Amino acid sequence: MPRLDRLPQISRNNLLTFPAQVNDTAPFRHPTKPLAACRLAIVTTAGVHVRGDRLFTPGDQTYRVIPSGTPTADILQSHTSIGFDRVAIMRDINISFPIDRLRELVARGELGGLGPSHYSFMGAQREVARIESQTGPEVARRLVADGVDAALITPT
Amino acid sequence: MLARVLEAAGVSTTSISLVREHTEKVKPPRALWVPFPFGYALGRPEDPELQHRVLRAALDLLAESAGPILRDFPDDAEPGDQPGAPPQASGIKPADAAPVDVAMETTQMRRYHERWLETSGGRTLLGLSGIPATRFRGVVRFLEEFADGRDADMTERPAELPLPNFIRYCADDLKTLYFEGHLAMKPGAGGEEIARWFWGETGAGRLLRRVRDRLDASDDPRWKAAAFGIAR
Repeated sequence: MPRLDRLPQISRNNLLTFPAQVNDTAPFRHPTKPLAACRLAIVTTAGVHVRGDRLFTPGDQTYRVIPSGTPTADILQSHTSIGFDRVAIMRDINISFPIDRLRELVARGELGGLGPSHYSFMGAQREVARIESQTGPEVARRLVADGVDAALITPT
Repeated sequence: MLARVLEAAGVSTTSISLVREHTEKVKPPRALWVPFPFGYALGRPEDPELQHRVLRAALDLLAESAGPILRDFPDDAEPGDQPGAPPQASGIKPADAAPVDVAMETTQMRRYHERWLETSGGRTLLGLSGIPATRFRGVVRFLEEFADGRDADMTERPAELPLPNFIRYCADDLKTLYFEGHLAMKPGAGGEEIARWFWGETGAGRLLRRVRDRLDASDDPRWKAAAFGIAR
């Protein structure tokens, strides 16, 4: 899920009319290292950020930087759509921003390491032109500068 | 879309997808579709084992030699105890209760919320309005005045923040106080149960319905957007 046929009518209609891009192919870059040597960063559309950082507003196409060592108690979510259940992230930040789980993978040696920063965008975007042309490429440049090999993209 | 932008710029990506129909169209380079409700991308809160299985499945896609690839996480992993999307206020009938003093109710909830902060190690989603929980009686009075049709405002509202946006943050913080407070009363409670309690049984839920109604009655699209974000 959410399988469309199991959603309330209002959510289903919202999703069916969502202006998703239609593409035939995808860019594809093979990672140059195995996972155990990869440096990973989270790029999330959960609208989370460091407490005290600028809040996201609906339709906001900017991004926020979350330093890798940020304690989870210092992370706030200003994406508050009532289309998703916020109780899950109240109970456990890892449900959308799996920072503790990734740290565990690094400790076990299954993942090479984490980048110095993670990046966050607002969710439920209908208009994405600026992300595509400006803020998305900017985050890509920062990830490359951070020495990041791969990004894990998580929704809410 | 974001995955495609990053990949094109030289960063390999793997994505977790909640809406398969959208992912099929957008075609990110690598995506793992998960059978979980909105808000539950990694499966279940406080279930590291399931979260690790989801992560492993998503990260394994990085070893694939060609794409786009869209793989399904096994459907039998679905938690099953939560609906795909939370119930909305319009689908919950408020209990026929005597009017309550919402400011008083909020003060009681704050005690539960303090317990929540003790158990969560200080983690809270409270903080959008910039007003500390100790001053939420003032937030409640402000929202009551607004719902009654008066020219209400708070000195704490930043000058550049439009009134409807500030009201939305106040409403979100009030919900968080109650939802997290409820989690302190009943650890492990699900979102559906808490939403039914909040919209059905609390004075704050009834107050937010009235705030929503006034915002929605406006012709200003910003007021209507705030109404849509508070309750529908």
